[in-house]
Amino acid sequence: MIVVDGLRKSIRNGARTVDILRGLDFSVPRGEFVAIMGASGSGKSTLLGLLAGLDTPSAGNVSLNGTAISYLPEDRLAQVRGKTVGFVFQSYQLIPTLTALENVLLPHELNADSDADGLPRARQLLTSVGLGDRMDHYPVQLSGGEQQRVALARAFVLHPPIVLADEPTGNLDTTNGAHVLQLLLELNRSEGTTLVLVTHDPMLADYATRRIVLRDGLIVSDERSPARPEPALSASAAVPVGG
Amino acid sequence: MHASRGKFLFVLLSVAIGVAALTGVRGFSASFRTSLLLRARSIMAADLAARMGQQPTPGQLKALEDVRATGVVETTVTETMSMASSPKSPDPILVALKAVDPALYPFYGQVELAPAIRLQTALGPHSVAVGDDLLLRLGLHVGDDLKVGGQIFRISATVVNEPDRLSGAFAAGPRVFISRESLASTGLLAPGNRASERFLFKLPPSPDGRPGSDTAVEALKAKLVAMLPDAQVTDYRETNPALTQGLDQATSLLSLMSLVALVLGAVGVAMAMRAHLRQRLDTIAIMKSLGARSSQIMKIYLLQTLLLGLAGGVLGVLFGAGVQLAFPLVLPKTINIPTDFLIQPRAIAVGLFAGVLTTLLFTLPPLLDIRSVRPSLILRRDTESEGSAETVGIFTHFVGRLPWLLIAFIVTLFSVRIVQHRWPGHGLALMLEAVCLFAAAAFGPWLAIKARKNPWQIGAFLLILGGLAVIATALSETPLAPDAPRVGEVFSVGLVLVLLILLGASAGVLAALKFFLNHTRLHLPSSLRHGLANLYRPGNPSAALLAALGMGVMQIMTVFLVQQAVVSQLHITAAPNLPNVFLVDIANSEIDGMRKLLKAQPGITAEPELVPLAASRIEAINGVPAATANLRNFSRRMLRSTQLTWSDAPPAGTRVVAGAWWKPDESRPQVAISQRMAERLGVTVGSTITFAAQDSHIDATVVALTSANGQHVFSRADYILPHASLSSLPIIWDGGVHVDPARVSQLQRALYQAYPTVTIINVAQTIETVRTVVLQITYVIQFLAGFSIFAGVVILASSIAGTKYRRLREVVVLKTLGATRGRIAGIFSIEFAVLGLVAGVVGIFFANLIAQTLLHQLNVAYDAHWLLNLGTLAGTAVLTVVTGWVASHRVLGQKPLEVLREE
Repeated sequence: MIVVDGLRKSIRNGARTVDILRGLDFSVPRGEFVAIMGASGSGKSTLLGLLAGLDTPSAGNVSLNGTAISYLPEDRLAQVRGKTVGFVFQSYQLIPTLTALENVLLPHELNADSDADGLPRARQLLTSVGLGDRMDHYPVQLSGGEQQRVALARAFVLHPPIVLADEPTGNLDTTNGAHVLQLLLELNRSEGTTLVLVTHDPMLADYATRRIVLRDGLIVSDERSPARPEPALSASAAVPVGG
Repeated sequence: MHASRGKFLFVLLSVAIGVAALTGVRGFSASFRTSLLLRARSIMAADLAARMGQQPTPGQLKALEDVRATGVVETTVTETMSMASSPKSPDPILVALKAVDPALYPFYGQVELAPAIRLQTALGPHSVAVGDDLLLRLGLHVGDDLKVGGQIFRISATVVNEPDRLSGAFAAGPRVFISRESLASTGLLAPGNRASERFLFKLPPSPDGRPGSDTAVEALKAKLVAMLPDAQVTDYRETNPALTQGLDQATSLLSLMSLVALVLGAVGVAMAMRAHLRQRLDTIAIMKSLGARSSQIMKIYLLQTLLLGLAGGVLGVLFGAGVQLAFPLVLPKTINIPTDFLIQPRAIAVGLFAGVLTTLLFTLPPLLDIRSVRPSLILRRDTESEGSAETVGIFTHFVGRLPWLLIAFIVTLFSVRIVQHRWPGHGLALMLEAVCLFAAAAFGPWLAIKARKNPWQIGAFLLILGGLAVIATALSETPLAPDAPRVGEVFSVGLVLVLLILLGASAGVLAALKFFLNHTRLHLPSSLRHGLANLYRPGNPSAALLAALGMGVMQIMTVFLVQQAVVSQLHITAAPNLPNVFLVDIANSEIDGMRKLLKAQPGITAEPELVPLAASRIEAINGVPAATANLRNFSRRMLRSTQLTWSDAPPAGTRVVAGAWWKPDESRPQVAISQRMAERLGVTVGSTITFAAQDSHIDATVVALTSANGQHVFSRADYILPHASLSSLPIIWDGGVHVDPARVSQLQRALYQAYPTVTIINVAQTIETVRTVVLQITYVIQFLAGFSIFAGVVILASSIAGTKYRRLREVVVLKTLGATRGRIAGIFSIEFAVLGLVAGVVGIFFANLIAQTLLHQLNVAYDAHWLLNLGTLAGTAVLTVVTGWVASHRVLGQKPLEVLREE
């Protein structure tokens, strides 16, 4: 579970100091699906980055599963992150020189304690996102939707308790976006993961069980409501289309 | 602009290195060459010498007077044989008398005396300087009297070193130096005396103190040849062919090697510019969508390039000055190179011009790419299509390959022809052929796609070739090399060819690695796999990068290997093969005893060279009697005293340049004759020369023309015959040994006691001069090769810095996925190290190939220095890893969010 306590983040822009986050407090219990919403510049991506320990807050703290992560040394933080958090980026962020399979295997190679073979898991995940026959392809040989599906498989490969997603359908057309979202929700449910998703799309947020809205670095609304049923996987969405 | 600062720094550095090498080298190579040529001149003691067997005619004296009127200084050296005796002992001995004008002689170098007094002081009206063997033979000391002719002289000093000892007459008997006035007073120069006259000439030096140019030397030589038809006219470059050849090669190498650095620098500029423009794609697309024409945008970037080229050029000139100052510091103390370098305005102008021009030429291809940027790019940025060229179908690959294979075949045929013509040996030619074909097969399709997409690129490529040829020609012109256009042409074609070959080889190794990677992928440890896979990162110009770096490695390694072989294996350093003490007039009855004595002497480091000589005269040439034969610059008198020798194979230091040597046991009269003598006598292979010795006549057919390097005893014999032809003639012997210089006087004593009539000539000092010059040349070349490796490193750094943004993203993603800094550092280090290893392997392979071919031409054994090669390989890998990290510093410390937010 995630606990956010008095979280602040300011950056210096020339002589000026800009407050991006101005004191946030909330917690996310295990298994919840939270959508973080807000206009451009409201601080939602910064919040997600701080939740993942990708940056250091100016004040306050973030705890993941009881570990306060905000002020850990960098390498220690990387280890915690690797084992606890799966991350899905808006622009996929696959390593261009590695194949789809190698990209999915990467978190396993970077973090696995044992010599346990991550290959079966990586293959199974790629098959489950519909890329069983494209495992040896490089990112440039895949469409945007396919790359994002590889990124989904990568985020889940280590069974992380928490998955953070930053506008995961932002770069995709409607059909591919729906497909990726559906896969994300399916994986989230089957793996029992806590999911935090940043979006400015109210339609997308409707699928979440809780919606936190940010404005100018402050939480202006935090409400729970029943989630919409998951989008149905249409036949056309399975056909890869250029993203 | 801010983000591009780093890249512009690399552009500046790339241009600056090339220009620095160029201005530095041109600035100091002139003065360096001057100092080397001074040494070469000192072996003759003059710029030119004309040797005559008789006194000049009044007409000739008048002509000499006219020559002096043009500012040329002339002095005459008379050499003759005479008897000398001590008033104390009644037995006279034969001495080699050398009369000089001590006010003028020698023009270059100096006569070293013991005690160290000036030659003018030593050679007074009543004093002489003598060889120490004379003191030994007559039991005299400095200060004693010596009777020469009818006069008594005081011995003022002994002669330790005489600069032109090797080019003077090789007369029997100890040396006696005397002034010309004193010689006249002895009455020895009566008509009929066999004195030889050597006229030494010195051209007026240029205003900045440099000796006369080679062109002026040539001109005066032509004039003297016409003026003195009986004289042997030689210039200083002919006195020691090994030395002057080395100089000539060094001269061309010096300026051309700096050109290699310049071209590598330009390649760096092109690569940095390409990376820069790739990051500016958005800006260009926006400008285009706002209505800007391609030509307008190109003008902007052209101006940018021009300014960068100019700024880099200025920086390079400053570097160049630093190079000139630093150069003497990096050399060992024993290699004494003058430090009075001047930056010449001309050198600066040439450097700037060449720097800006090569920069512009090499940035043309990336600039032309601007034409193909579509404004729609701003709408769809997320799918970069850099990888698309690699996804071309197999069919297109195959079809695209055919015409290129054909072109490659034609190019290969031509290049092989050139190679075979120029360097008749087959190894390199075949290798070239194979590599060319391979390069064509590997790059043909890629080039074909490029050409179809953008025919302008082909134009740009041709422009680069042409421009390079012009620059190379311009650079190798002026005092440095007379045959500039040919050198420029050969060099630019050669350079491009070598770069292409290296490119092909690098691409080949990369392809092999990729094949290996694709077939082992998941079996490799993940860091290794990831590091290797990074070599194929989109936008990585890996093959070009490796070619550039490999070029640097190849150059420095080739120079090093050749130097190792030439300097250590020929043992010029210690020179145990080269005689530094010559023995004249050993009787045939003494030869066995002499061999034994030499064998027993300490300090003799090589088998003595002993040459049998039979005195003879030339009676007829091609049936024409000697009295009417048509000779070129050769005194007819010289035909009356020729020396013949025998050898069943070309002796050490002698090379057959035309015809072929006879088989052992040849009984027909045949003769091998030095090329120089053949020109003088007007004979060639197939001509006949009639020799007469005692009562017998030998009608010998010329079967071979030879060229000797002037460092062995045999090179003093102009006529070599089969043994059978000379077996009935009386023989005397000349010999040469290499003696530890400290033990020369000990040898002299031992020889004098056993064989008092044998003359000993000590040229250890002259040999030392040759050795120093050769060492200086090799150090300079090595220093310059360092520039190329530096240029290669800058290109590497620039290219790695060009992919910094991609690396940054990769680091961030890896960190997000849980990678520690150590892990990421490992992955990148593997990538950099593999770059270095591949460039090293390619560079070292070709360096060994070239060194082997070169050494084969030089008749020097090639030795595979395994440890050295491995060391260089490891060194290159270390260099690339260090360079890689210097160029991508701060990448590791980046906070992930900063980068992700910039998306």
